Order: sequence, then C-alpha cells, then structure tokens
Amino acid sequence: MRITYFFYYVFINVVETLIRLFPVPAKTGYRKIGSPNENSPVLLTCNFHLTIHRLKRAIRGIDCHLLIANSKGINVWCAAAGGLLNNHSVISVIKTSGIEEKANHRTIVLPQLAASGIEAKEIQKKTGWKVIWGPIYAKDIPSFLEKNFTKSEAMRQVKFPIIERIEMATMWWFFLAVIQFIFWIPFIIWKPFLLEEALSMCVQIFWISAISFILFPLFEPLLKANYKADGKFNFKRLIVIFIMIFIAAIGVVIYTFVIKDYDKWILIRWSIISFIMVIIINMDLTGTTPVLKSDLHEERLYHVAIDKEKCRGTGICVEVCPRNCLEMDTKTNKVSDPRARDCVQCGACIVQCPFDALFFRNNQDEIISPENVRKYKLNLMGKRDCCLACKISNTLSK
Amino acid sequence: MKILESAPYRYDKGIKILTLGNITKAYDRLTQQVKKGDNILDVGCGTGMLTLHALIKGANVTGIDINTEMLEIARIRIENSDFKENVNLLEMGVAELDNFDENEFDVIMSGLCFSELSNDELNYTLKFSKKILKQNSLLIIADEVKSNLFVFRFLNFLIRIPLVIVTYILTQTTTKAVKGLEEKVTRAGFKIESIRKNKMRNFIELVARNIKEN
Ligand SMILES: C[S@@+](CC[C@H](N)C(=O)[O-])C[C@H]1O[C@@H](n2cnc3c(N)ncnc32)[C@H](O)[C@@H]1O
Ligand code: SF4
Ligand code: SF4
Repeated sequence: MRITYFFYYVFINVVETLIRLFPVPAKTGYRKIGSPNENSPVLLTCNFHLTIHRLKRAIRGIDCHLLIANSKGINVWCAAAGGLLNNHSVISVIKTSGIEEKANHRTIVLPQLAASGIEAKEIQKKTGWKVIWGPIYAKDIPSFLEKNFTKSEAMRQVKFPIIERIEMATMWWFFLAVIQFIFWIPFIIWKPFLLEEALSMCVQIFWISAISFILFPLFEPLLKANYKADGKFNFKRLIVIFIMIFIAAIGVVIYTFVIKDYDKWILIRWSIISFIMVIIINMDLTGTTPVLKSDLHEERLYHVAIDKEKCRGTGICVEVCPRNCLEMDTKTNKVSDPRARDCVQCGACIVQCPFDALFFRNNQDEIISPENVRKYKLNLMGKRDCCLACKISNTLSK
Repeated sequence: MKILESAPYRYDKGIKILTLGNITKAYDRLTQQVKKGDNILDVGCGTGMLTLHALIKGANVTGIDINTEMLEIARIRIENSDFKENVNLLEMGVAELDNFDENEFDVIMSGLCFSELSNDELNYTLKFSKKILKQNSLLIIADEVKSNLFVFRFLNFLIRIPLVIVTYILTQTTTKAVKGLEEKVTRAGFKIESIRKNKMRNFIELVARNIKEN
C-alpha cells in the first residue's frame, strides 16, 4: 500500500505538473485525516487534485478534519483571486459536509492565500465559524498547529524556490512543446525525417524555459517595475529578453554542431521558433511568478492606498499580505506600506480590512473601492490575469 | 451548463439553441402548476429564465444564486419587465436555505441547478426544501440526469464527448448529470407525482409533493 501510494504520488505530481495550465477537480466535502476527535483542528483547502494530495502528505501523522471546498479544480491562489474559491464555496462545505456534528469547536483554518477571495467576516456572520489564516505552504502546517495557530513571518510570505521554478518551467515547456509539435505534424507527414528536428526543438524549448526560470533570481530586480510607475515601458525588461535570446542562440548553435548540417534553412527556422518561444515565455514572465505582479494589464498602475483616518490598527492586513508589504506602526497604531514595491496586487489586505481603510488607487486618483474589490474580485491579479488557464478561457469566452 | 455560464451574456441564447428550444417548453409545462399569488423559491435562478416563467403566471418569486454576474443579468431583465415588484433576487447558495422560515413557500423550483451541486449540497437542499416548503406543496425540478439503464448512459456518453471536450477547453470544468435523483427526492420525504423524461433519458422534469408526517 505504502509503496503503491508512493508511485501514485510521484505519478500525479509529474502528470499534473505537465498539465498545470488546466484544472483537475477532485471530490469536494469532508475528509478524515488520521483519527480526529471533536477537538481536533479543522482545515480547509481547494479541490485541485494535486493540492489535496500534497497537503495530505504534509500533514500525515496529524489527526484533523479536512474540508475540500469547491474551487473548480484550480489551486488556492488562482481560484481565490479569480473568484472561483469564494465565500459560497466555504459556507457550502461548512454547512453541508457534516463537520458541525464532528467538531465541537467553531474555528477553521483557511490557507492564507485564499484571503483574496474569501471574507473572514462574512464566513463568521453566515456560519458562526471563526476563520484563522493558516500558513501559505502546507509544509508549515504541522508547526503552525503545534504552536497553537501562530505563524512566523516567513510562513506568511510567498516564495519562488528552485523546485517551484522548475515546476513552472516544466509546465511552460510541456504546453509550448506540444503546441509547436502540432505545427510540425503536417511537415513530418510530408517528410518523415523532420520528426527528429521537431523532437530536438522540444529539447530546445525545455532549455529556454528551464533557463528562464532558473535564472529568475538574477532577472527579478530587472523585471521589478517601479510600483508607482507612470505606465512607461520598463526598458530593463529588454535586457532579460536579450539574455534569453543569447541563451536560445546557444541552443541553436549546439544543435547545428550536433547534426553537422549547416543548412541555412535549418538555421533560419530554428532561430525563428526559438525567438518566438523566448518572446512567449517573457511576455508575462512576471505574472507567471508568485512574487511579481503581471505587467500586461493597465490596472498594474493601481496600488494599495491607506486611509489612515479609517485604520484602527487591527493588523489583519499585515497578517494576510503574502508579500510582507505592510507594517504596523506601534506608536500611532496605524498601518503603513514600507515595502509597497513588493505588492502583487492580490487584494487580500483590501478584502479583509474590517474598516474599509484600504483600497486601490492610481496616479490619476481613480480608485477601486473595497466593496467592488470584494464583490467582483477586482484584485488586480484576479479575473483577467490570475493564471494562463484563466487567461485562455477568458479570451475564448469573450 | 457550465459552458454558458462562463459567459453569462450568452447564457439564454446558448441554452435555447443547445436544447433546441426544449428548455422553454419544459419550463412552460412545469410552471403550469403555479397559481397566482403563490410564494415561490427559485433555487439557482441564474439569469432568471425559469423565474420569469413563474412571474408570468402571477407568482411572487424569490430567486437565489451564487453567481454575481448571472444575477446581475436577471436583475436587468426583471427591471425591464412588468414584474419587478414581485421578485426578490438574493446572492446566496443552497447552503443558506436554512435562513428561510418553515413553511414559507408554496412552490420550490429549480432549473438546471441540481446538476451543479455536490452530493452533499443536493441532499442538504432537499432536506431544507422539505422544511421551508408548505405541507402538500410542490417541488419542481428540471435537470440533466444520468439514466439507470446502461445502454442510455453509454449512448449519452458518446453523444456528450464533444460537448464535454468543448466545455473543458472553454471553462476547464465538466458538467455532471444528476445520478439517482428520483431516489434522493423520495428519500428526502417527497412523494413523486409525475416524471417526464426525454427520448435520450438524459433530461428530467420532476414534480414531487411535500407530504409531512403528523
Ligand atoms: C444552468 S444555471 C440555471 C439558470 C436558470 N435556472 C435557468 O434555467 O435559466 C444554474 C445556476 O445554478 C447556480 N448554482 C450553482 N451552484 C449553486 C449553489 N450551491 N447554490 C445556488 N445556486 C447555485 C449557478 O450559479 C447557475 O447560475
Ligand atoms: S486591516 Fe484595516 S484597520 Fe486593520 S490595520 Fe489594516 S488597514 Fe488598519
Ligand atoms: S499589499 Fe499588495 S501583496 Fe500585500 S495583501 Fe495587499 S494587495 Fe496583496
């Protein structure tokens, strides 16, 4: 059993990473973890199949109740920002899963990244359950539970470690490699020896996407646009694109050396395809990462504004910010935004502030009110730009 | 019908085309039971197609739905009709049915919404429908169902493949027809009065009566 599960686990990790752009829904409702009793903690997560398995693995050995809320098979952050994991999903699973008979307390731990789409206040009002924002990563849950629901600062922040970067690279690679391969098919039917070239191109695409993401920490400062930017093009981005074109060119050169065929047409088509791939990956490289905001849309020019009059220093916004942008001033008991440059516009702080002290504002002083951010999930990574899958379906359904 | 909901503005036209106009006929048949002045709950009212059918019959309708955008369309549509006084549209899910009073409604109806609920949600809906529905009143359901007969399930499966693929590509979700609806309704304490299925056995129009003990 153990060993078969291990292989199953590896299998779904590989497959679902490859098709990461598409959701994989799992059954919603109650799951028992270990042998919980009525005092055991209650956790909630989305119904993306891979998330559930990873979570279960991270918390094995702990007795608790797990609720799977409907997020249409999408991961917590994308689903919450895109409006799919919302108040209704949570209210529904709390009230229909039978958890109220299984637990005698009324405290539920939600993933912190769900704060963009779920209103703790609303959940408490409608169900009587108190929401506690748990750690961002499942691996921190055991220590979080042990320390009586307290999170270290590190547990509150999204990171983009090498393993996740490789996942992203793999996802992009699979998607682009499959698509470019489809374009080759008619040519391969016409001249079968082209199969070899098409497959080599898949390797080249892997090289490009892997290096893009492996080198990301070097690119990050270049890609990070000034948060109060005036909408001017960030020329430093071009440096990244040039570096990547250079990397791609290395791939082209290696290929021509390996096949020892210096035909100019091979060189031309390899250069063109490689160039297209570099551009596609770089088009929204920032939006593909959890640590930088997408720079494709107009709304990137909005930033989080604070109405100091309204702020009463609850610190909730500091608690839910995945980028650690905000800070409490202990003297004035008001919040400030010393690290606003790091903001990814996830809207979590705005959604959760109980006194509507936060909102989006741009340089023309146009604002997006907290009510609208909540109602239409107008966090600015949301609907339009939460992930490529959403993007594709958005463009298709327009 | 997920494919249409992802673009609420397309929903009405889309659903009529997909069902070859049958949805309107089904809603017409089902709302025949509605009387003037009836207090009706429309579960998952969406853009308000079924709601409007009941309004025309002179009923007062409370429509609930969790999709803000679909509700927005229902709101606009009803603002432009003669019935705006008789409607109350609420953004809430089936999990909040317990907010209504016992014996509040003369009819509870639902069009194409049960197929979007999880099994837990469906049972919860039936349980509370029974509570908030008056004695001897009607529960009316129109929805996609799975046939009990393998042959029909298989045939439907084949026919649905293209639809399922297109739906998945557009919305990355799959539609799932309700399994064993009749049993579930009976088990929840309703007495089924009439059932009408189409030739493919994948669409049901069900009318059940709320028989209360004691
Ligand atoms: C296919 S539409 C049907 C709309 C309408 N009855 C009609 O026939 O025009 C289904 C609706 O059910 C709603 N729905 C899905 N799950 C729900 C839930 N848990 N509670 C309430 N409504 C729900 C969806 O938002 C959607 O608008
Ligand atoms: S959540 Fe609102 S009230 Fe609380 S500290 Fe932040 S801005 Fe101030
Ligand atoms: S400050 Fe920015 S990153 Fe932090 S919670 Fe608010 S919107 Fe999200």
